[in-house]
Amino acid sequence: MSLILTADEEALRDSVRRFVADRTPLTSVRALITAGEPYDAEVWKQLTAQLGLAGLIIPEEYGGAGAGPAAMAVALQELGAGLVPSPLLASAVLAAGTLLALDDMAAREALLPGIASGETVATLALTGPAGAAAGVRAAADGDLTRLSGELAPVLNGAQASALLIPADGPDGLAVYLVDGAAAGLTRTPLTTADPTRALARVTLAGSPGRALAGNAASALSAARDLASLALAAEQCGAMAACLAMTTEYAKLRVAFGQPIGAFQGVKHRLADMETAWELGHAALRAAARSAAESPADFPRDAAAARVLISGPYFTAAADTIELHGGIGFTWEHDAHLYYKNALSGKVLLGGPADQLDRLAAALGM
Amino acid sequence: VDDDVPVRESAEQFRARARAWLAASAPRRSAAGGDEVGSGAGLAGQRAFQARLYDAGFAGITWPAQYGGQGLTNAEQIAFSQESRDFALPVGAFVIGLGMPGPTLLECGSEEQKQRYLRPMLRGEEIWCQLFSEPGAGSDVASLQTSAILDGDTWILSGQKVWTSGAQYSDFGAVLARTDPAQPKHRGITMFIVDMHAPGVTVRPLRVATGSAPFNEVFFDNVRLNADAMIGERNRGWDAAVVMLRSERLTIGTLTAGRDNPLGFSKLRELAGQLDRLGDPAIRRRLAELYARQSAAGLFGRLLREEAMAGRMPGARGSVAKLAGAEAATFSAEVAADVLGDAVAGFDTPELAQVLTSIVAVPGLAIAGGTNEIQRNIIGERVLGLAKDPGVDRQTPFNQLKVGTQQRPVTS
Repeated sequence: MSLILTADEEALRDSVRRFVADRTPLTSVRALITAGEPYDAEVWKQLTAQLGLAGLIIPEEYGGAGAGPAAMAVALQELGAGLVPSPLLASAVLAAGTLLALDDMAAREALLPGIASGETVATLALTGPAGAAAGVRAAADGDLTRLSGELAPVLNGAQASALLIPADGPDGLAVYLVDGAAAGLTRTPLTTADPTRALARVTLAGSPGRALAGNAASALSAARDLASLALAAEQCGAMAACLAMTTEYAKLRVAFGQPIGAFQGVKHRLADMETAWELGHAALRAAARSAAESPADFPRDAAAARVLISGPYFTAAADTIELHGGIGFTWEHDAHLYYKNALSGKVLLGGPADQLDRLAAALGM
Repeated sequence: VDDDVPVRESAEQFRARARAWLAASAPRRSAAGGDEVGSGAGLAGQRAFQARLYDAGFAGITWPAQYGGQGLTNAEQIAFSQESRDFALPVGAFVIGLGMPGPTLLECGSEEQKQRYLRPMLRGEEIWCQLFSEPGAGSDVASLQTSAILDGDTWILSGQKVWTSGAQYSDFGAVLARTDPAQPKHRGITMFIVDMHAPGVTVRPLRVATGSAPFNEVFFDNVRLNADAMIGERNRGWDAAVVMLRSERLTIGTLTAGRDNPLGFSKLRELAGQLDRLGDPAIRRRLAELYARQSAAGLFGRLLREEAMAGRMPGARGSVAKLAGAEAATFSAEVAADVLGDAVAGFDTPELAQVLTSIVAVPGLAIAGGTNEIQRNIIGERVLGLAKDPGVDRQTPFNQLKVGTQQRPVTS
């Protein structure tokens, strides 16, 4: 087992990195945010049809590439560095991962090919810490099962055409498939801290849904592990961008007769950022590897990676603003975009305490 | 056709051979902890073990074969390190020599020096120490005042060194001395090999905060060195020192924390279980974070070695490993205190005594091999490429500088 990238992974990294630089630089991301769009449909088409990113963890029999979570982590690291808005995490990681962890062959066949090609955007309505009550109840109504309740925040909840909804039903917890056009389904886009991550409140008022076969609790747990890896990967890339941006500025900006990077008050903060990044990155590499090669260690390694990146990325993003001084606090500067992304990414799908609880549980405590 | 051309074994065959040899020849780690670097305990046993290690082909794994090494790659080194994790190899006396002066001789020494010193060093026949720090030159080691003055064909070495691990049982030392005080501080230093048994060398134990004496003070009183004792060029000793300090940070930073480290996750979790503290979610979270930080420090070391195998040298990133290791240790002392609660203040079991000693030892880790602040300077300047500290003393002749806590400029 090796921590460094394979030749295939390096090629994937390079092509996604080139794509981000050429097709979706931060100036385009800003234009998208100003227009109030959740993501750029053209970029999404290229990410999926051209680069095949939505099919990375989906097996070939369902139209994916079968490359696995390690490859997905490589791609997300580059997309995270560029704060590229897309439903990749919601659809190709959370929804696809849940379908693959459940045993519902009909749902896999119906949904996975569309998710892999990018034509279908799906999401998993996973909110709050693990183990919390589902927030939605399912009840039989003749031949139908109807779902009622409210879930927020749901990643890409307003854009998804297929929603996987965890709910407490007659037979306990199950994951239900609800169509985006279902009766009684209301999706309200939320005002988000991070303008690059679209979230919605999903309200179900007797909406019809189908219970998917398989163990819901273990599938949702597997989805959370994948989410930890995916968020850690995005944040690892974004943190590297903060480090690069601030290091560059510390070389250029002169104060008191010398570049500010010569001052230990600045230099040591950047050294700490570099050290935190290296540790988080090493933990991310270990988690990506265990996803592929030692699945029994994956829940532990994914949780550890998220613990070592989510918190330190937030610190790094705050330091990025501060070390830039006044210019870093302006609307025109990109630093606040990373700060907001870090804030959101720190609390989504389980905040700091939940992340540590997941790691403690994986360690048998 | 030469029938004797050896077939090179694969890294996996090497690993299997190492595993079999260790199982047959090395003591397993005990619950009470392994050997302590610098303790000097059982020196004869350590020498005998190192000789067996050498004869079996597991010493100097990556060193060139013509100097007694195995001429293998980092893959074999990593395999051996991994296989030996569960064993308490009694080799503490050789860690300094093989980790620092050895690689420096390989990189900067003369052919004669390599032929003369490396093989006995590898076989444990001659033990080495490193003599850099002085009472007035710690973080700013280039301000050292130990002097070497040329007298005909020999150099006369005088001065004091401090924080020298293993000096009491070392046969040779790599010493930095000032050879031209009229030059700015980095340019008047030369590195020498000193015979620790020579007349005029005095070694005194240095007791530290834990109560034990793992280091020494070393005094040189007109010790005579031959001209061939110089490592590298005259007045270019700082270059050799940078090579050695880099090796030191890598050695310290990537030392695999043993599974029996009293402040390691496994031990503290076990202790928390015994003290019935695992029901407290705050303690579980602290322990989980400790696991994450300690395992990441180890993973980063592994990543550096794998990158080196792939041809990307770690360079100054050894300082990242060193800083991360020291910070993980500082955090582990905090977690230990959280787990123990008031039992850390007063106790009557030997196990807790060991934990307390480890907690007291932790601040030393943020100093040894360069303080955390020095590592941050190195990371900032040599990893990130930030501007150097202007260094008000960089261009001034050394004999016009104030040094350490002295009030008057150095005169010599």
